[in-house]
Parts: sequence; C-alpha cells; structure tokens
Amino acid sequence: QLDRGCALHTAARDGLSSVSSQDVPAERPRAVFHTSESDPAKHTEQHEGRLYNIPLEEVKAVFPHGLPHRFQQQIQTFNEARVMVRKPALELLAYLKGSNFAHPAVRYVIYGERGTGKTMTLCHVVHYCSRQGWLVLHIPDAHLWVKNCKELLQSSYNKNRLDQPLQASVWLKNFKASNERFLQEIKTQKKYMWGKRESTEEGRPLREVVEQGLARVRSASDAVGVVLREIKQQSHRGSFRLLVAVDGVNALWGRTTLRKEDKSPVSPEELTLVHNLRKMVRNDWTGGAIVTTLSQTGSLFKPSSAYTPQELLGKEGFDALDPFVPIPVPNYSPREFESCYGYYLERKWLQHEKAHTEDGKAELQFLSGSNPRQLDRLAGPL
Amino acid sequence: RIMPVRWSRYNPSYLEPEVKKESYQKPLEELTEEEREQMELKAVRPIKAAPPTLSSSVFSDPMISKFTNMMMKSGNKVLARSLMSQTLETIKRKQLEKYHKAPENEKVTIECNPYVIFHQALKNCQPIIGLSNITKGGKTYQVPVPLTDNRKRFLAMKWLITECREHKHRRTMMPEKLSQELLLAFNNEGPVIKKKHVLHKMAEANRAYAHFRWW
Repeated sequence: QLDRGCALHTAARDGLSSVSSQDVPAERPRAVFHTSESDPAKHTEQHEGRLYNIPLEEVKAVFPHGLPHRFQQQIQTFNEARVMVRKPALELLAYLKGSNFAHPAVRYVIYGERGTGKTMTLCHVVHYCSRQGWLVLHIPDAHLWVKNCKELLQSSYNKNRLDQPLQASVWLKNFKASNERFLQEIKTQKKYMWGKRESTEEGRPLREVVEQGLARVRSASDAVGVVLREIKQQSHRGSFRLLVAVDGVNALWGRTTLRKEDKSPVSPEELTLVHNLRKMVRNDWTGGAIVTTLSQTGSLFKPSSAYTPQELLGKEGFDALDPFVPIPVPNYSPREFESCYGYYLERKWLQHEKAHTEDGKAELQFLSGSNPRQLDRLAGPL
Repeated sequence: RIMPVRWSRYNPSYLEPEVKKESYQKPLEELTEEEREQMELKAVRPIKAAPPTLSSSVFSDPMISKFTNMMMKSGNKVLARSLMSQTLETIKRKQLEKYHKAPENEKVTIECNPYVIFHQALKNCQPIIGLSNITKGGKTYQVPVPLTDNRKRFLAMKWLITECREHKHRRTMMPEKLSQELLLAFNNEGPVIKKKHVLHKMAEANRAYAHFRWW
C-alpha cells in the first residue's frame, strides 16, 4: 500500500505549517484580496477572487514545467507565486472531490477565449492533486510535440511510426523531477527489451525505465510509452490516484507541420508520443481523472477566433473525447479585476502615477476588456 | 478638390481637435465668456482630423511617442511601440528585482518607475552646447553654438538609438540593449554620456572660433 501522505519535500512541508498559522504580528495585515489558505483542498466560494501563495520550493517540485512563461517571469520579479482562485477551478475541484474512483475516469475539458486563464486553472488543479498525493502526469503543451521538431527517427518498435527523442527526453526529465516517490514504488509488470542488449526485468521500479530513456535518448519515446502503459494498467488497483493533465489537447487530433524525409506530411497518429497519449486520454481505465485544456494560441491551421471544443478539436477529436465535462473559463469578473489590480498596486508593478487613480483603473479595465492576458500585457510598461 | 487629410493643406477655417476629457466635463455655468464663444465657434466650424500620435489616454507621454517615432523603421509603428513597451517593462523588472533584494535603508534610493528613469536619462544625455560647421575664407571651422531645447532632445534620443543599434552585439534584442543604456545614462555612466562629454570638450577647445557665429 502506498503512503498516501504529501508528495512534497520535507522543507516545503515545514514551510506549509508556518504559513497556515497566524501571521507574525510584526507584519502588517495582508489586504482583502489575499488569502493565507495555501492548500487548494480548503478553497471554497468565500476564497473566490482572492490570491493564494504557493511557497517557492513547492513550485519547483510540483511545476518543473507547465507554468506559462509570463507567470514564471512574474514569480521571479515578485519573489512569490500568487495564483487567483476562480470559479472554474473551484467547480473542477468540487467534481474531483466528489468523484467515484471505481468508475472509469471522467474527462474534463477547460475551454475559453484567448488569455482567459485556462492554463492557470489547470495548474491550480495540478497543485491540488499533488497536495493530495496523486500521481500527476502533466504534459505542459501538446502543441510542442507536433511542431518544430528537429529530429524525427523511425521508431524501432513499429516501422510506421516516428520517434521524437528530444521532446521525449525533456518530458521524462521533468516527470522524474516532479514524481520521484511514485517512480520508486511502481514496479514494471513485463520485461522490456531496449534494442539487442539492454532490457528491464519484470518487477524493477519504473525509475529504471525513466533512467534508461534519459541515458539512451534514441529509445526515449519508447520509454515514455512504457511509463504511460504501466501507470494506466496499475491505476485501477487503487494504490495511487492518477491525474492526466494535458494542456493543448487539440494538438493530438489536428495536423502537424512536420514532414518526413520524402517531404510528405506527417499525421499525428504516426508519432509515437501522440499515439501513446491518445491511449491515455481514452476513458477505459479507472482510479483517477483526465483534465485537459484546449488552446488556440499554439494550434496549427486553426483560425484565431476559434475557441469552442467543436471548432478546435475537429470531428475526430470530438468523437474521441466524447463524452466529457466542458468547463468554460470567462474573463475577469469586476471583483476579480479589482483583486488583480490591487495585487499589482501592492507589489509596485503599476509604477505610472496615473495608474493609481480611478481614471487609470477605468482605462485599464476598458482597454483590456477584463481579459487577464491583456491586463497583464498592458500593466507591463505602466 | 482636396480631401481634408492631415498632411494636405487645410482651409484656415478648420480648427484643431480638443482631446482633453476635463474640458468636456465642465458644466455650462463655469465657463467664462471666451470659452462660451469658443464653444459656439466649434459648433459651426469644421475640425481637422486628429493625428495618430494624439491620444486622450492618461498614460500617453509626448517624449515617449517622439522616441518611438525615432525608433520606427519604414513606418512600422506597431513594432516600434511594442519594442518601447518591452523596454519599459524590462527596466521595471530589473529595478524591482534590485529593490526586493536590497536591505530596508537602501530601498528608498532605488527608483522603480521606468518613466522617471527614461526622462532623467534623457535629461542627463542632453548636451548644453553644440558644434556647427561655418565656412570662412575657404576653410571650415567647428564653431561652438547654443542649441535649442528641441535640438538637445533630438540629439539625446538620436545618440541613444544609434548607440544601441551599432555598438552592441548583433544577437541582443533591442529592449535589452535600450534598457541597459537607459539605466547607465540614469546613473551618469555609459557611452552616451561619454559622447556628450567629448562634445563639450571639443566646444571648449574651439572657444577661439566662437566669434565666427553671427546669430
């Protein structure tokens, strides 16, 4: 039986206990839009619109990849990671808390217009699951696997498929960094041959498969396939819960910009990574959940006004993901906008003297249309 | 028949557009006699088209827009403006990182507002006296000459941009180069300030020819 405690480093756990207790009296009281509740399991509607802090060690442990680039820059500038608690995330967390893990995995698709906070909602859910001790399979952006690939090798396992050693090894490295504990405890159930001489015996911890993939980069994509397969087969036993978090899931069923050596286009099912991930996103396994995000920003050959699941997934993708629970993510509500604006003011991000006035605030709200990304971009130079 | 466009010649009866929000929010009673006459005139006369640089936003700054126009190449104002906003953001990030890492007593000295840094840096780069070529008796002399405010501002901005474009590594991005130059100029260091000092020294060295100037 696996230990169901926190999957975190002990240092992070000590930091946690001090944060959840009373503020040190020497500090001034934090403003209305902050909350000292840094455990996502305890977030309720009263925390809606407020920002909660994730300690920096936890950020490095839980999110080696997966946070948007601008958010990472913000963490570095402000020296803290603050995530806003919003309605779609609370809804998802409620569903996850009440779900029955004996039933097949439920698929949740987070969709919304550009820059409304879908990736951040996904990160909130990933943080909750890692706090609860789940095994988190986080693919930061599936679009990176279907475009700009420098090396495409023919797969040794199946002649028709193509391998992507670079992307696979990068993902394996990050996966290892975030899920050390599980890799030690899950054992392989079959013997796997890597080429003529190397093999992994039955009953060895999964960590060896990952290390094999990192050491022999040529077989990295096969290592990823093995990891996914083992995890899927063992999740129904109930010793651990599995969360499959995929950002930009519409990349799995679209077109790619990659070409084979004879200049013929590659379709997604010919890539090993995409093929294995599609098997993972099917709901034929129990003991966990699948949370995905649609994304138009990195997508290929899709118009920029498309944001609904029907438009972005296409017929094939929609049929493969059907049935799913759709979760729309809207722009900021007035309360959330106030809270974001107040946070920028407090952290001295809005330096322009006119930005502190009512006029400046009204102008920011109008120009950004309460869209989180536009607000972030506008507040940058101000 | 000429269509009234900004760069064509307007009929003298066309009036300039009024952009400030405050002038429209005053109630009727508070206006003086002249302002009432002005309002009635505006109701009858046609108005010129507003230039693209004129904005009613509270965040607009004429110096920043002049600088953006000077950075623009082949009319690509979108790119120039995005570079300018990225520069301001980079300056702010660098200063905020320094601010958060500094001890309490030094925090007051660190300036985080990118606009203040920009204006101060430009002021520090402006030369006080310039040189002009005057030909007398077949020979050209470099004569020290006073500069107008506009010319000083233009020279400061021109030097900053040329320094960034030419004397830096090819692969660095413009926001990075510009933010570095502006921060150095803010602290009175850097190649642009050096250029200004060299100009001053040349003017001081050529003092003897100052009487060649006739204006």
